[in-house]
Amino acid sequence: MALRTEFENSSDIGVFAKLTNTYCLTAIGGSEAFYSVFEAEFAGQGDSPVIPVVHTSIAGCRIIGRLTVGNRHGLLVPHNTTDLELQHIRNALPDQIQIQRVEERLSALGNVISCNDYVALVHPDIDKETENIIKDVLKVEVYRQTIAGNSLVGAYSVFNNSGGVVHPKTSAQELDELSSLLQIPLVAGTVNRGSELLAAGMAVNDWTAFCGLTTTSTELSVIESIFKLNANLPAKITSDLRASLIESMS
Amino acid sequence: MSLYNFKKIMVVPPAKSFIDIMLSRTQRKTPTVVHKHYKISRIRAFYMRKVKYTQQNFHDRLSQIIQDFPKLDDVHPFYADLMNVLYDKDHYKLALGQLNMARHLIDNVAKEYVRLLKYGDSLYRCKQLKKAALGRMATITKRQASNLTYLEQVRQHLSRLPTIDPYTRSIILTGFPNVGKSSFMNKITRAEVEVQPYAFTTKSLFVGHTDYKYLRWQIIDTPGILDHPLEDRNVIEMQAITALAHLRACVLYIMDISEQCGHTLEEQIHLYESIKPLFANKPLMIVINKVDIIKLEELDETRKNVLAGVLNDENVPVIQMSTVNEEGVMQVKIEACERLLGFRVDHKLKTKKVENILNRLHVAMPEKRDEKERPTFIPDCVLQKREVENVIKQKRKLEKDIEEEMGDDYILDLKKHYVTIPEEERYDIIPEFLEGHNIADYIDPDIFEKLEELEREEGLRLDSGYYEPPKLNIDETLQEIRDMARQIRTKRFTLRDNKRLAPRADKPKIPRHKLPHVRDRKVDKLKNTMEELGVDMSTKEDSNFNKSKIHVRRSLVPAIGGKAEKRKDKESSAIVKSTGQTLKRKAPKHELGLTNVVVKKKAQIMAKHDIAKKLKKMCLKGEADRFIGDLKPKHLFSGKRGNGKTDRR
Repeated sequence: MALRTEFENSSDIGVFAKLTNTYCLTAIGGSEAFYSVFEAEFAGQGDSPVIPVVHTSIAGCRIIGRLTVGNRHGLLVPHNTTDLELQHIRNALPDQIQIQRVEERLSALGNVISCNDYVALVHPDIDKETENIIKDVLKVEVYRQTIAGNSLVGAYSVFNNSGGVVHPKTSAQELDELSSLLQIPLVAGTVNRGSELLAAGMAVNDWTAFCGLTTTSTELSVIESIFKLNANLPAKITSDLRASLIESMS
Repeated sequence: MSLYNFKKIMVVPPAKSFIDIMLSRTQRKTPTVVHKHYKISRIRAFYMRKVKYTQQNFHDRLSQIIQDFPKLDDVHPFYADLMNVLYDKDHYKLALGQLNMARHLIDNVAKEYVRLLKYGDSLYRCKQLKKAALGRMATITKRQASNLTYLEQVRQHLSRLPTIDPYTRSIILTGFPNVGKSSFMNKITRAEVEVQPYAFTTKSLFVGHTDYKYLRWQIIDTPGILDHPLEDRNVIEMQAITALAHLRACVLYIMDISEQCGHTLEEQIHLYESIKPLFANKPLMIVINKVDIIKLEELDETRKNVLAGVLNDENVPVIQMSTVNEEGVMQVKIEACERLLGFRVDHKLKTKKVENILNRLHVAMPEKRDEKERPTFIPDCVLQKREVENVIKQKRKLEKDIEEEMGDDYILDLKKHYVTIPEEERYDIIPEFLEGHNIADYIDPDIFEKLEELEREEGLRLDSGYYEPPKLNIDETLQEIRDMARQIRTKRFTLRDNKRLAPRADKPKIPRHKLPHVRDRKVDKLKNTMEELGVDMSTKEDSNFNKSKIHVRRSLVPAIGGKAEKRKDKESSAIVKSTGQTLKRKAPKHELGLTNVVVKKKAQIMAKHDIAKKLKKMCLKGEADRFIGDLKPKHLFSGKRGNGKTDRR
C-alpha cells in the first residue's frame, strides 16, 4: 500500500525520512504529524510496533533521508554525525542492526548510495574504504553506476527487494542492464507530479511506500505495482496502465 | 490552470459612469490651481496637461477593454462558435471595433486641442479650449453607450460559462430533451445539474468531472435538441450543436426507450441520422435509457424494426441503462471512457510525443545472473494483517494525539522508545565530556583491551619488519643505471632552474630612455682598467680626468684670478672653456650680500622668526600653506557691477 504524506508543507518526504525493512528514521519537525503517519502505519499488535520509528537528526540537520543510507542489516551515517546522535540511534534501534559512521568525502550518503537488502548502487567516485564498509555493514554487493548520466544514483533511484523506479530519462537498454544487475524489475518513472528526484519524493520498504502529497494517481499506481505493494504484478504497467500513462504523459 | 479563463475580464462601466470616472480622475490627479497673472506659457502647460491626461486615461481604459475580450480568431473554434451562437459574432466584433474607433477619435481630439492650446492667449481662452476638448471626448464616449452595455452583458455571461477545456478527455451527452442526459450526468459526476420532468430544463452547457483509470474525465451535459433543420434551431440547441461539432470527444447519444419524453422512437432515430455528420471521426455510443420501464427485448415488432438499423451497426455499441435504478450506468461510463481512451491513445501513438516516453512504458525484467535467492523481507505480522482484510483497527494513541492533548507543554521524548534500556536507567543524564574526555570515546567497555590488542599486533608487525622497505641487492648494471638516472635528474633540475632564472620574453621591459641614469664612466673605473691592462697610473694623480670643459652660461659666473679655493661641489670643478679657469657658482639669493657665517646665521634666525610670526598671525600650517578660504566670495560676485567694483563692495 502506498500512502501520500508531506513534511511541513514539503512533498519531498524522502528527504526527511529513511525507511527500511527493519527500522524507520524520521526528522524532528515542528509537529508530530509527519512522525505519526509512520507511527500509525507501523503500529503492530499490542504495544510494540512492527518496526521502530525513531526521531533523529544527523549533524543537527533534518535532511536525514539524504544523509544516511541503510537496509535491514545496518545503517551508515556520515562523518559529521555527532556522538550524541549516534548514541541515540544506537539506543533506539535493535542490536542486530549495525550502525557505522563513515569517513567519506561525499557525505550525503543517501544521495550517492542506493540499496536494498542485497545489492547497492554507488556513486562512481566513492572511496574504496567506503565501498568495503558498505559491503560489510549492509551485507550487499556493490556496483559503481550512473543512472541516465547522473552520478548521484541515490537521488535518482529507489528500490526495494521486489522492484525499483529510476530516473525518467533512463533508456530502455540502460533499464535492462540495471535490472539484471539488481535482479529486480525496474521502470523509469516520476513522483510528486513529474519530479525526477525519486528518492527525495518517497520512502519505500518491502510492504509500504510513502509518497509526497502531490503525487498523481498514475504515478502512485506505477509505484504500487512496481514495488509489489498490492496484488498487481509489475507487468501491469505495460498492459493495464499503458493507456493511462500515455494519456497522462503526452 | 485551464487554457481559457474568461473570468478575469475587467468590468465595463456604462457610458455615464465611464465619463464620470475619467473626468474625476483628471480632477484628482492633475493640479487645480492656476491664476491669470501667471506666465502664459505656464497657463498653457497647465491646461495642456489636463487635456493630455484625460486622453491618456480614456485611451488606456478603452485599450484595456479591447484587449481583455477574447479575439474570436484566436480562441479555440469551439469557443469562437459558442460565442457566435450566444452573443452574435457580428455584433461582438462591431462593438469592439467601434470602441477602437472611439479610442482613435479621442486621441485625435486631444491632439487637435493641444495644438490649439499653444495659441491660447489668456487663461480664459485656454480654459475654454480645455473644456471643449473634454466635452468632445465625453460626447464620443456617450455615443458608445450601447456598445458598452452590450459588452458588459457579454462579460457577465462569459464569466459564468463553464470552464470547458477543449483539448482534454471529454464525453458529450446528447439526445432529445428530457431523455435523461442530466440524470446520467448526476449519477456519474458531482455536478448536480437540475433535473425536471419537462423539456429544456438544461438551457446551457454544463460540465462535470469523473475519475476513471487514474485519469480525470470531463463530462459535458448539453441541452436537448429537436429534429429540425439547422436554420430553425434556437440558441439553446445551437450550444449543443457547437459542442458536438468542435470538441473531439466521445459522444453518447441517449435515447428514451419508453417514449415518455414525448418523442417516438422513430423521431429519435431520425434525429440520430440527421445529426450523424457531427459524430464523424469521434467515438460514438448509443445509450438506451429508462429500461426500468420497458426493456429492449420487450418492445413490439414495429418498434424493434425501427431500432434494427442502429442495433445492427457494429461500429456503434448500444448499451441499455436506467438512471432510476442505476442499472447499466457504470457500464456506460466504463465503455465510453474505454472507447475514448483507446481513440486518443491511437491518435497520440501516431505523433512524435510518444517516442520520448516509450522508455517509461517499459518494465525491465531481470535476467538471472546467479543462483542466489533474493527474497523479500516482510514481517509475519504484516502478512497476517494483509490476509485478514478489514480488521477492526484499534485506535492507537499516536504521538500526534499526545501532542494535541498536552498543547504547549508537549516536549518530544526521544528516549521513550529505548526498549533495551530499563526504565529507571533510561533517563539518566550522561555528560558529553568528563574530566576533559569525550564520553563517546569510552562508550565501549572493552576499549582499552581492544587498543592493547591493536598495539600488540602493531608491535609484532614492527618487530617482524613489516614496515621496513625491502632490501635491494645492487649489482653493477643496476648501479650504473642509478648513476645515470641521478645525472639525468640533476641535468633536468638545472635546466629547469636555468629556465626559471632566464629573462622571460613575456616579462614587461623598461624602455631604454626611461632607465635610471647610471654613471659608468668614472675615474676609478678608468684607473682600474688601465692598471689591469698594465699601465702605471700612480703618476696620474693630478690629471684632470674628471673635469669637463663647459661653456659659461648665464647662471655661471667665471672666477677671475684669485687664490685657489676649496672645491665646493663636483660641478664647480668644471673648467670654463673661455677662461680656462675653474668655474665658480653664483651665491644663492638668500645668501647674497652676507659676508660671513655669523651674519648668515643671524639672517637665518631672523627669517625663521618672521615666518613663525606670519604663520601664527594667519593661522597657517606652515610656510607652504597658501590656503585661501573662499576663492570667489559671494559678496564680490553677485549683483550688477559697474566699473572697477569687482573687489570692493
